[in-house]
Amino acid sequence: MTVPLTPEMVGQVLISGVLSGALYAMVALGLALIYGVMRVINIAHGPLLMLGAYVTYFLYSRAGLNPFLSVPVAMAALFVVGLVLQRTLVFRVVDAPELSSLLLTFGISIALVNLAQNAFTSDLRSVEYITGSWLIGGLALSKPRFIAFLFATAVTGLAFLFLKKTRLGKAIRATSQSREVALVCGIDVRRIHLLTFGIASALAAGGGALLAVIVAIQPEMGGVWTFKSFLVIVLGGAGNYPGALLGGLLLGLVEQLASLFLTTQLSEVVAYVLLVVVLLIRPTGLLGGRQT
Amino acid sequence: MTGARGPLLAALAVVVAALAVYPAFGTGYGVRSMLQIFMWIALAGSWNLISGLTGYVSFGHVAFFGIGAYAGAILVTSAGWSWPVAALAGGLAAVLLALLIGYPCLRLKGPYFAIAMLGLNEVLRALVSYFEGLTGGGNGLSLPTLDATRSIYYVMGLLAAAVTAATWLIVTSRFGLRLMTIREDEIAAEAMGIDTFQHKLAAFLLSALGPGIAGALTARDQGYIEPISVFPLAVTVTMIVMVLFGGKGTVWGPVVGAVVLFVAQELVWAHYPYVHPLLFGAIIIGVVLLMPRGVLGLLQLKYRLPRTI
Repeated sequence: MTVPLTPEMVGQVLISGVLSGALYAMVALGLALIYGVMRVINIAHGPLLMLGAYVTYFLYSRAGLNPFLSVPVAMAALFVVGLVLQRTLVFRVVDAPELSSLLLTFGISIALVNLAQNAFTSDLRSVEYITGSWLIGGLALSKPRFIAFLFATAVTGLAFLFLKKTRLGKAIRATSQSREVALVCGIDVRRIHLLTFGIASALAAGGGALLAVIVAIQPEMGGVWTFKSFLVIVLGGAGNYPGALLGGLLLGLVEQLASLFLTTQLSEVVAYVLLVVVLLIRPTGLLGGRQT
Repeated sequence: MTGARGPLLAALAVVVAALAVYPAFGTGYGVRSMLQIFMWIALAGSWNLISGLTGYVSFGHVAFFGIGAYAGAILVTSAGWSWPVAALAGGLAAVLLALLIGYPCLRLKGPYFAIAMLGLNEVLRALVSYFEGLTGGGNGLSLPTLDATRSIYYVMGLLAAAVTAATWLIVTSRFGLRLMTIREDEIAAEAMGIDTFQHKLAAFLLSALGPGIAGALTARDQGYIEPISVFPLAVTVTMIVMVLFGGKGTVWGPVVGAVVLFVAQELVWAHYPYVHPLLFGAIIIGVVLLMPRGVLGLLQLKYRLPRTI
């Protein structure tokens, strides 16, 4: 790596980092919600994202639907899947030891990936809707990534508005702060759990639908997203929802910066080292979260 | 239960003797299958040491198997070590890796450790592919030909026995009690003066040793390794399923799980490879929801067996 750094390269890295960071933030917000409200780490978060990507793929290849219009469809479909998973399986382990919920969602994750392999085969699929880039003063702005960024920002913004302003959103935040007090205040905690899992699955699916126009789709694409979403939560501070935004941007930037110095082959190694270092020096996250 | 102890020990001795003479007249397929069962007992038993006893779930235990395989294979091919010594070195390499991961992640309560282990496997696979000069990258690494299957049979058998014996020693010791206290209530354990971090780390290092050695032995036995063959997620999944099925936190649970599931896999599921992971996922979900203590846990409850089986 002897290529000298130019201002253009740094600018390019910043742009790419922010573009992918918005997607990280959106997907991680879902994982953060489930963890905050139920104290459950949903290992199946990545596979739910994968299902969202397939929804977009099939709507595009079979029905010719604009992939960006299919974002709400994928979100609605996976919202329902999330409700079903929570209602049939996950609610049983909410109060169980952590080991149970980790293993249960791990089992769901393996099953979902295998179901997808059987139903859709392991072939790589892609949605070639928009390709190419806009050139702005020597900097390239990838078209699909930029549109995906806009959508991710909009969805994340709506999710925050929902959490902040609506009664249901407030109930979710209250449950996440203290389940007992929420219960005493007359909040139907079980219903909040159900809704949270649905919303989180929808956020994952939205991420998958947007990714569909950017990367290749295959059944195992989700695994790394569970890990990265968790890394985003750790960066931002567990239980701190705005922290997920910062964490997402940070992860996007760090990954892109690292690609200046290392091959992209090692980008997952960079993310991993980042996790270990943050856990070592500041386990409560950069913004500081709630101690567990 | 002291009255039943004599016959049980006698039965155990008979099984061990039978396994010891088996290679003399078993078929090649038979010996190889037994070798595999030994390997799974060692792997499942090792996973049980950290996850069954302390409740900290390791989703990436295959990483220790893989790094042991690579360390052993590189020492055999590049440094010309004999395979038994290389196998021990493979175990050591796995323990060092466990130290590297365990130190930052086990200081914290909660899911940090589980997630760090979830990502570890991918990272190692990427590193192995990146350092092509040492590992052969995606082309894999071939070891000099050597027919040592029978010797490896005995060493793997010893490893399986050692992991099981170590589990028994731990479960019956104060150390084991402290680990299980951490599993039941870590804050209470700390309040009682247990250094939970040191105990978790010790259990974790110990749980990495067996897979490291097993990986190096498997590499020697198969004569060829590549990133896909020694870092498959499926190996971790199988370990977890075996322990959960047999009974996590027990001495014989991993043995029961390994034998039953390996035999079932060979006889039945080999015909349905496409739905194999689905089945394992379903077993995990079913065991967690319906019989969290596994087969041995059910037997313990029903027949009032001691906790230390």
